[in-house]
Amino acid sequence: MSTYIGLVWAIARKDLLVEFRTRERLTSLGAFVVLIGVLFNFSIDTAVVRPQDIAPALIWMTIIFGGMLGMGRTFRLEEQDGALAGILQSPIPLDAFYLGKVLGNFLLLSVMVALVFLVFGAFFRLTFSGNPVTLFGVVALGVLGFVSLTTLFSAMATRSSMGEGLLPVLVFPLLVPVLVYGATATGRLYAGRPIAEVTGNLRMLAAFAIIFTVSGAGLFRFVIEE
Amino acid sequence: MSFGLEAVGLVRNFGGLRAVDGVSFQLQPGELLTVFGPNGAGKTTLLRMLAGVMRPNSGHVRVAGAPADVVSRDWRHRVGIVSHQSLLYGELTIEENLRFYGRLFHLADLKTRIPERLASTGLSDRARTPVRELSRGLKQRVALARALLHDPEVVLLDEPYTGLDPHASAGLREQLASLKDGRRTVVLVTHNLIQGLELADLVAIQVHGRFSSVTDSASLDLAGFEALYHATVEDPA
Repeated sequence: MSTYIGLVWAIARKDLLVEFRTRERLTSLGAFVVLIGVLFNFSIDTAVVRPQDIAPALIWMTIIFGGMLGMGRTFRLEEQDGALAGILQSPIPLDAFYLGKVLGNFLLLSVMVALVFLVFGAFFRLTFSGNPVTLFGVVALGVLGFVSLTTLFSAMATRSSMGEGLLPVLVFPLLVPVLVYGATATGRLYAGRPIAEVTGNLRMLAAFAIIFTVSGAGLFRFVIEE
Repeated sequence: MSFGLEAVGLVRNFGGLRAVDGVSFQLQPGELLTVFGPNGAGKTTLLRMLAGVMRPNSGHVRVAGAPADVVSRDWRHRVGIVSHQSLLYGELTIEENLRFYGRLFHLADLKTRIPERLASTGLSDRARTPVRELSRGLKQRVALARALLHDPEVVLLDEPYTGLDPHASAGLREQLASLKDGRRTVVLVTHNLIQGLELADLVAIQVHGRFSSVTDSASLDLAGFEALYHATVEDPA
């Protein structure tokens, strides 16, 4: 078991190390988040619309679109100089390879999500009086579901001649439940509603995260093997 | 009797194209087979199937007697691959690349193994250099160090000389010659007759996916083999 976790961490650590050195994805994700924040800050008349009412939807939209920008490049690293063949030829179980990629993407996207809340909080002066642990749970489960799904489909897109362009087409229909439950729960928490009103959403987000991660780990080898 | 490497009736199709067509051979431990063939003959596809990276449509591979199918991962400890691509991460240093692959192969003694491997390939003083800063020749030496890190019994070489200048080629040739230690089974795929013939124990010519002949290299001289090669490529039947 510890060997398996070690393999998962080896893949994630390698991805994060390369990202730390190139900042290729973080830079574009950060720029995207700030751009969206600035854009909505100037386009929304706060005298007509209360920021708390629309911020949760904007936050999730930014996470999904920004995330798509980063996740589409998940396997670009492995495409350079044939590194994917090196991994496939090694004895690493392919589900561990997939989970390592998911973990790396999850940590990377978590940085972006933190920036999203920071930017939207600053621009819309959002105040949060609810339970931060519940909000953290909603966002973490939503991001895990998103990352598990996009990592699998990113591998599929890499193998396709259409490349990254294929990713949104494949992923968006399947992401609808994550978006709906995530945005609804976030909205309720920002509105100061009791936790009991979001437990159903939390359960659904947890179910989708588990389904996407487990099925992704099982299906990955059919996508990545030639 | 178990062979170092055995391929039985390997076939691989891409749509309507048969890239590898019924290739079979057996190699004893210590033997080096060079597979020659023109571009598009299916040599790389054959090697990818031998490495377990690609699934054959039919046929099978055995490494040291054990079935080497795509799904099973355990036998991969026994195989190392060097390609015309380095299979390395440019942003990582040489040492980081070797450590990463060492972890994938569950190697516990990386603290001693990596310096030894770097020393044997003359890369000790460059251990902390990012791979993207290396010349093509040095990258191939790192690729060889990576492929041999887990001390495999079978080594697969796919056009390893591609893009190397004569000096780097000579250096790599020296490294590859050291693989002939009587223990490892090696398959070298190339279209360069001189480089391929000088290391080979057995030679095969692959045309349109098929092995036209498998010959003991001791009975061949370069001029004779060149004539045989051109005759085979022009008229595979």
